[in-house]
Amino acid sequence: MNKLHSVTTLWLLMMALTISTYMVGVLGYSGTKVVMFLLLTILIKGTIIIRDFMELRGVSLLWRVIMYGWLGIVTLGIAISYMADA
Amino acid sequence: MKATVIKSSEPKLLPGDFAIWIFIFAELLVFGIFFLIYAVMRARNVELFDQYQNTLNREIGAMNTLLLITASYFVVKAVHAIREGNLQACAHWLYASLGTGTGFLILKSSEFYAKFSAGISMDTNTFYFFYISLTFFHYLHVILGMIILIAVLIKTKRGKYSALEHTGVETGASYWHMVDLVWIVLFPLVYIIR
Repeated sequence: MNKLHSVTTLWLLMMALTISTYMVGVLGYSGTKVVMFLLLTILIKGTIIIRDFMELRGVSLLWRVIMYGWLGIVTLGIAISYMADA
Repeated sequence: MKATVIKSSEPKLLPGDFAIWIFIFAELLVFGIFFLIYAVMRARNVELFDQYQNTLNREIGAMNTLLLITASYFVVKAVHAIREGNLQACAHWLYASLGTGTGFLILKSSEFYAKFSAGISMDTNTFYFFYISLTFFHYLHVILGMIILIAVLIKTKRGKYSALEHTGVETGASYWHMVDLVWIVLFPLVYIIR
C-alpha cells in the first residue's frame, strides 16, 4: 500500500473510532466492558499517532519505550482506577 | 567485481530537532500525572464526577477530537510534501491544519464561555476543577502548537525548506502530534468514560 494511502486509511480509522467513542457517551453505556473498549480505542489511536504520525517506527528502542510506555501507563492507570469502583 | 553491500543496523533518528523531543517528553509527563490524578480523584468521587460529566457538551468534545485528528493528518501531508520538495503543497497543508486548529479553538472557547457564563469555575466542585484546568492547559498547548505551525508556514513560504533540509517542518509536526495525542486520552477520560 502506498504510504500516503496508508496514512489516509489510518486517519479514517481514527475518525471512526472517535465517532464510536462519542456514540458510547450518547447512549450512556457504562461498565467494565465499555471502559475496556474505550481504553482500547485510546491505545489504538495513540499507537497510530506515535508510530505513523510522529514516525517513531524504527527509532531507537529508548524513545519508543518512553512514548509507548507513557501511553501504556496512563491507560493502565485509568483502567485500574475505574476497576476499583466497578 | 563484487558489489559491496552495506547493511545499516543503526536506528532512525527522531524526526525534527532533538530539543523538541525533550520538551515533548516533559509535557507528556505532566499531562500523564494530571490524567492519573484525575482518575484517582474520580474513583473517590464517582457520583459527583458522573453527575457533572453529564453537563459537558459531548458533541463539542467529539467535534474537537475529529478536528485535531484531521489537523494532525494535514500536518503529516505537509511533511510528506516537503520531503518531495513541494513547498507549495506543504504550505497548503499547513494552512489546512491551521484552519482545523482554529476550528478547535473556536469550539473550545464557546464551551468555556458557556460554562463561565453559567457561573461555573474551578471552585465549583472537584470535577470542574479538573475539567477546567485540564482542558484549559491543553487549550494553551493548542495555541502554542499553532504559533509553531505559523512560524513553520512563514519559513516555508519564504523558501527556507527543501527536500533535503526540512528539520523545522518535522519539529513543528512532532509538537503538533503531541498535542493531538494528549487530547486522544483527554476526550474519552473527561467526557465519556463513566
